[in-house]
Amino acid sequence: MQTKKATFASIALAGLLAVSSAATACSSTGSGSAEPAATAAVAKGLPGDCASEQVFCIGLVTDVGKIDDKSFNQAAWQGAAAAAATADGHAEYIETVDPKDYAKNIQSFLDRKADVVVTVGFAIGDATATAAKANPGVHFIGVDAFQATTIPNLTGLVFNEDKAGFMAGALAGLLTRTNVVAAVLGTDKIPPVVAFGKGWENGARFTNPKVKVLTTYHPGGLDVAFNDPTWGAQTAKQALDNTADVIFGAGGKTGNGALLEVARQQGAYCVGVDSDQWETVPGARGCLVTSAEKDIEDGVATLIGQIRDGSITGGNAFGQVGLAPFHDFEEKVPAAVRTKIEGIVRDVASGKIPTGVN
Amino acid sequence: MHLDRLRPALLPVVAVVVAMVIGALVVLAAGASPVAAATAIWVAAFSGTGAIAATLEKATPLVFAGLAVIVGVRAGLFNIGAQGQLLLGAITAAYAGYRLAGLPRAVHLPLCLAVGIVCGALPALLAGVLRATRGVHEVIVTIMLNTILVNLTDWLAGGPWMEQGQPVSRTPAIVGSARMDRVAGVPVGFLLAVAMAFGVWFVLDRTTFGFRLATVGANRNAAHYAGISVAGATVAAMTLSGALAGLGGAVESLGVVGRFEPGFNAGLGFDGITIALLARVSPRAVIPAAVLIGALRASSTQLQARARLAPEIVDVVLALALLLVAAPIILRWLLRLRPGSSPTEVHLTRGWGS
Repeated sequence: MQTKKATFASIALAGLLAVSSAATACSSTGSGSAEPAATAAVAKGLPGDCASEQVFCIGLVTDVGKIDDKSFNQAAWQGAAAAAATADGHAEYIETVDPKDYAKNIQSFLDRKADVVVTVGFAIGDATATAAKANPGVHFIGVDAFQATTIPNLTGLVFNEDKAGFMAGALAGLLTRTNVVAAVLGTDKIPPVVAFGKGWENGARFTNPKVKVLTTYHPGGLDVAFNDPTWGAQTAKQALDNTADVIFGAGGKTGNGALLEVARQQGAYCVGVDSDQWETVPGARGCLVTSAEKDIEDGVATLIGQIRDGSITGGNAFGQVGLAPFHDFEEKVPAAVRTKIEGIVRDVASGKIPTGVN
Repeated sequence: MHLDRLRPALLPVVAVVVAMVIGALVVLAAGASPVAAATAIWVAAFSGTGAIAATLEKATPLVFAGLAVIVGVRAGLFNIGAQGQLLLGAITAAYAGYRLAGLPRAVHLPLCLAVGIVCGALPALLAGVLRATRGVHEVIVTIMLNTILVNLTDWLAGGPWMEQGQPVSRTPAIVGSARMDRVAGVPVGFLLAVAMAFGVWFVLDRTTFGFRLATVGANRNAAHYAGISVAGATVAAMTLSGALAGLGGAVESLGVVGRFEPGFNAGLGFDGITIALLARVSPRAVIPAAVLIGALRASSTQLQARARLAPEIVDVVLALALLLVAAPIILRWLLRLRPGSSPTEVHLTRGWGS
């Protein structure tokens, strides 16, 4: 059923893209739009001469997520596209459909002599490590792929998701009137998702010991867990029915489904994830008080910059985490809460407040 | 005479061609080049031994799943549970593959396959018995068993059977003595699948057992009147169906994935329904149908890299082909065929009450 829906959606999307690309063909493209189509236009596709020293080529492979997920994969792609634009180079992406194709998709960029291969997601980490060992001349970046052992040409871009989750949870604990908050999460098979969820729970309890936290992980496999907005919306609805009034949606399109559902309810807040989803999911602006950000876009772009100037090292690089701006909720959040949250954000970032998640 | 014999085979071919033409229009509407797309599919699926092996690898589980669905349909049963049965076969074969390390290859590999076959057959047997003795519709039972088995295998792979010392939910790697490799560039699993397709064809079309299944499938009352055990045929068909799906899962684990990992076998069982329809419920026709779909699936990387196309385009083409096969009236209208000049339709299942 899901795939059927996705199919029809993609036809519609394809039609839209055709129309929009025709409409924008003459205008300039650097508008900073949230649509991946626009960034794809900024990033030139890989040319035939990537083998040349002068031509800088970036290939990006997703695990089974989608590039237009308005958060995780999209941010990584925007980072790669921005780095390519800075270097006057080229970037291209492949969305993995079948997890058995991880190695094949990475290899297709190696065959085309890409200088940098970015793989996005925890699940593709193993295939990335294997490819990195076999291709010492190419530098790999594994977004969300924690490196237990150091491979010189593979850098894991990792984040303290527990900190971002804690900051957002702390805000939720202060904002809730019913003392019930909820988290609608992608699968618990992916550790960073669990870190977001646990951080959220602990953060909420930190500011509000009476709070009840409803945490729900998507029960399906990796193939659907991040691409199931219907489930996200249903789960958010259940949480609202159980009097939750601040809901965290974290898990690609699944989480976005939760945000959009909460936006339809009066008086409830929602919290986005990864990117500042105020920008990427405008439909959620009715409830989106902030987002638990991990700055993947900046992290990817920075690491690619380090690859170009040769300062990159293997192992793990920690990216920035934090809370996105309140935007229109600036006034609705009481000044006392804002002050308190600023302090908590500072102390969590510095490690003075432990998140209780290891 | 020759033309009449050819005709049943013609419909799926025409359907696929028409679907590809419509697909080309969709590609065009998406702003990409249909020629580039066709080139990408060709390069990805058939250029060189590596590409052909990849295509055949994708086709292998589809052959098994297609055969599983066909065996059921012949007896008038719709086994929607091929996905769950395949998953159970895949994970149990993987378990036997890493747990029973130390056995000689000649024992270990057949044993793992047998484990997959038996474990795939069990849930289907349950559905068959419920159908034969209590009249519970097999569609309902197998759909519900799918959900149970997906979650059971997820739990096993992330719990008791999970590989230690790493965070991903998956079983340990299957040891060498149970792995299936390639022979002269052809995956062994595919050879097994082809052999199985001919085996199923022989059993269904050339034995009294197959005739009994077909008779039950055509008319249960007439079959009963003719002295055929309807209950026996129902249970046998479902069990055989599940065994084939389980074998498909085992081959996938032992030959391609090398372990069991949730999500890696997604949709294979459901593709079996597509294949069975496309092959018009003929076991031997499953092979070209599965190779076609395998080729399209294998090309998703190149479609993106060379033609800048979303990989979902493949699903669009497949869905169109299926629609055209399942609803021949559309083709008849498209091609201005006269009623009656098109081959007989495939009936997948009888009504709910029968």
